[in-house]
Amino acid sequence: MILSGWESVFFWIFSIAAILAGLLTVMARNAVHSALFLISSLVSVAALFILLGAEFIAGVQILVYVGGVMVLFLFVIMLVNVGAEEEGRAAIFNRPAQVTAALVFLGLLAGVLVIYAIPRGYQAMQKRDEAALQQSNAKRAAAENNMDTAATGVSRLTKETERVGTSLYTYASLPFEIASVLLLVAIIGSVMLARTLKQEVAADDVDPDVLSEIKSKSV
Amino acid sequence: MHHLFPSLALLFQETSRATTALESIKHPDLSKFLVIAAILFIIGVAGVLTRRNLLVIFMSIELILNAANLNFIAFSRYLQDTGRGDPLSGQLFTVFVIVVAAAEAAIGLGIVIALYRNRETIWVDEIDLMKW
Repeated sequence: MILSGWESVFFWIFSIAAILAGLLTVMARNAVHSALFLISSLVSVAALFILLGAEFIAGVQILVYVGGVMVLFLFVIMLVNVGAEEEGRAAIFNRPAQVTAALVFLGLLAGVLVIYAIPRGYQAMQKRDEAALQQSNAKRAAAENNMDTAATGVSRLTKETERVGTSLYTYASLPFEIASVLLLVAIIGSVMLARTLKQEVAADDVDPDVLSEIKSKSV
Repeated sequence: MHHLFPSLALLFQETSRATTALESIKHPDLSKFLVIAAILFIIGVAGVLTRRNLLVIFMSIELILNAANLNFIAFSRYLQDTGRGDPLSGQLFTVFVIVVAAAEAAIGLGIVIALYRNRETIWVDEIDLMKW
């Protein structure tokens, strides 16, 4: 897989944007700013997905993450109303034992994995696939030429989404059903968790002891 | 430099075709995506470990999941180009990761709201009932 031309320009723009927005997500003092930076990071990663030819996943990423999850986040941030901003540098480095242990493991990780194992494996993989990679761009261009043209005649229609959907329902139909059950559980669970005491009382779903306590308090 | 820092070489000079660093920048390949995803992952882990606002910790977890998704998609494209394995399995996996992330966010934010109602705080160092 080798990008070229404008693709590589956009690759660098969006990857740098994703990393910067990710950094700012973690560093911003205000939770609302964090959420907004996370949105821009997610959008940049969606653009990288489009560069990689995964248009469907990019659309899902924007719809589900940006349109759904992050809006939920923003709602909750405003609901809990975190007034106080986070305090600055507490002494997280003032713990010699912990910092030493962290450095030892960082050294092991860097020494064995990053310096030795990953580059060796990667280079071996690259060598193995060199022949296929050389032809991949030409193959991709030819496949693009075979695509149907859109109504305007300018752009071409990709069959990517169709193929993703087909394999989702053939190879991954059981996990797909399990995912739907998971979402149902998540819906019910979050509704149960977010109920107020009043709503719980209305649904007659409170421990009798707690209920009598509330009643004695309110009277 | 090539022998001292092979990982840096991964970022700038790894393909057999790319002879110079500039050439490698002009033609980003799989390794660039992996490095970007790793950086995003590390940022997310750093956020989880250092922040004390529960909501920002959740957002960092989303960042981590997103880095994993980027890896899946990059390898999916690599498999498409090399013709090894099922080229779409990476995209399928990403769909499920997004589903699980959405479920996790819904439940997590429900917990945050319940917690805020009972304890009036979402700072993780004040939520220490289980600390001994």
